[in-house]
Amino acid sequence: MRKTVCSILVAAMALSVSAQTAGTVKIGWFGPETGDSALWGQAELATVKMMAEDYNAKGGISVGGKNYKMEIVAYDDKGDSVEAVNVVKRLIHQDKVIAIVGAQGSGEAIPVAPLCDEAKIPLVASTATNPKVTVGDNGKVNQFMFRACFTDPYQGKVAAHFAAKKLGKKRAAIFMTIDDPYSTGLSEFFKAAFEQAGGKVVAEVSYTSGEKDFRAPLTKIKAANPDVIFIPAYYNDVALAAKQARDLGIKQLLLGGDGWPSENLISLAGNSLEGSLFVNHLDFDGVAAKPMRDEYKKKYGKNAELNSYMVHDALVMVVDAMQRAKSVDPVAIQKALTTTDLQAITGHIKIGPNHDPVGKEAWLIKIVGPNMKFQEKFATTN
Amino acid sequence: MDQFLQQLVNGLSIGSIYALMAVGYSLVYSIMNFSNFAHGSVIMLGAYFGFFALTRLGVPFSVAFFIAALGTAAIAVILERLAYKPLRDRRAPFLYFIITAMGASIFIDNSVIATIGPTPKTFPPDLLPAWLQGDPLEWGMLTVGRIDIAIFLTAAICLFLLMIFIDFTKLGKAIQATAYNMKASALMGINPNFVIILVFAIGGGLAGAAGVLYGMKYQVFPQMSAITLKSFIAAVFGGLGSLPGALLGSVLLALIETFVSGYLSTQYRDLFAFIILIGMLVVRPSGIMGKDAEDKA
Repeated sequence: MRKTVCSILVAAMALSVSAQTAGTVKIGWFGPETGDSALWGQAELATVKMMAEDYNAKGGISVGGKNYKMEIVAYDDKGDSVEAVNVVKRLIHQDKVIAIVGAQGSGEAIPVAPLCDEAKIPLVASTATNPKVTVGDNGKVNQFMFRACFTDPYQGKVAAHFAAKKLGKKRAAIFMTIDDPYSTGLSEFFKAAFEQAGGKVVAEVSYTSGEKDFRAPLTKIKAANPDVIFIPAYYNDVALAAKQARDLGIKQLLLGGDGWPSENLISLAGNSLEGSLFVNHLDFDGVAAKPMRDEYKKKYGKNAELNSYMVHDALVMVVDAMQRAKSVDPVAIQKALTTTDLQAITGHIKIGPNHDPVGKEAWLIKIVGPNMKFQEKFATTN
Repeated sequence: MDQFLQQLVNGLSIGSIYALMAVGYSLVYSIMNFSNFAHGSVIMLGAYFGFFALTRLGVPFSVAFFIAALGTAAIAVILERLAYKPLRDRRAPFLYFIITAMGASIFIDNSVIATIGPTPKTFPPDLLPAWLQGDPLEWGMLTVGRIDIAIFLTAAICLFLLMIFIDFTKLGKAIQATAYNMKASALMGINPNFVIILVFAIGGGLAGAAGVLYGMKYQVFPQMSAITLKSFIAAVFGGLGSLPGALLGSVLLALIETFVSGYLSTQYRDLFAFIILIGMLVVRPSGIMGKDAEDKA
């Protein structure tokens, strides 16, 4: 377990002589710094560190007339649910953080929900899109769980309605990771919405995570002759699947969700994803993302990932809640979070009764050459 | 019917990679009677050697291929000298060899994660030879990727040469004799140390070839060594210690896997593969073409 603490900047302290510093607030972060999704975890951590430095350089966060410095306490969960539970316990009981951001994967966010509820520490997830992150199996809202992203039912519906209504597709095939709740959940929601919109799902085939050869299941898809193939998976598997699909002579449109966007996607997939579309949380080249994109690039020398923007908005939600609550007490922050209504980089975030952003727009992105080009904004209702 | 042919091609393409990997397990087992679980890590290193030779050194693909094969042959021999020879000298039980092999495997895998990193890499298509680039070949509904054809041919040529070497050369006979009875062949003037080095070098070289082919077909990543375990199963299935057995086991296992995931579901694939393996071990513990277990003891 690696511990990274952004200590308070000495330079920042020197700058803020005039401001009255009331102390330091500890914000916890956890995510995968190693393992398969390390790329996204590292991008998140880089972002929250950058933001903490920025807040502190301005003299800290003003909460009810007092200025607080921000300290980020970060742990690596290796993309593993057991590890996630361990590090969240540590964040809550040992480091005594007042709020947690991160928890990018639903598989890690769901098991830590009871811990946060019990200890009354609010958590704002960046990209955990499964409904169960905020609403437990018993149908009750997890009081201390929030998120900055839209949910899988919404995302699945956007993808399905876009394919059926906008592109006029009638026959869809689904290629999913059978042992990943993100993938199976999204498939389920896509299927329901696609059929509701008058289309037919002609093939549902799956693979187990860690597999590299998809030719057998993809051949099954080819035989079903769909006109669009939905792949709710993460970028590495998407790249492998796309390459092998093209090798099998499958030329149909590939469609995906927010597991796709990554700096590595296109370099891994070569030209096999040309023309493919995916649902995203923001337009990478848009005006709203520009200041952060530039700052990140300048500081780290590479492009910000989707997770950078999402965790940015998650942290902004926490800071906003602190300021509106005029308190750094976790319970007061939780209360303020339930009434969040702000404009962030990835869109308008208004927290609804299930602690999810309500009516957040999705962005359709098309892969053109080596670029991810914004295609259109697409919001869907029932 | 179209789908059947396509799945057959899919299976053969995986089977030929399994075969290249399985031969390494089998060769070492035939001489030393233990399963060299570090073989998978050597395969993984082969993929990285090929990848870096191509992208960093900028050599043509064929040269990169040979650099990878030579590199892994050297690594396999070094591994034998450092890890297994001290055990042999002390006449350690076979269990120690297996544990040492696993330790070596973990060491190599994690060294790669620590130095190169866990992110998968792809062979850049534009650095591959021209005949490997471009669209897959199509015959009616049947589609075959160019890399798959190259893999099949390379595996076939390598394994054919190996069989000729084992059956028709003096060195090959020495390997056979040592496999049959190390003590007796040593008394006849065959240096067991030399044969062991030779076997590790051949297995290592094929591992490098398999690694590069696997990396081209899929990706290059440190966890590759875990996936090569399938080829170990293939070797056991066909009969550990037997080269034709390793070949047959690889192709059969790959075909079973492909047809199960193609016609039933991927979830059942490993289930079937392992049921067949267990069934085989119960009915015929030495595998399809392996010698009787008593003979080898």
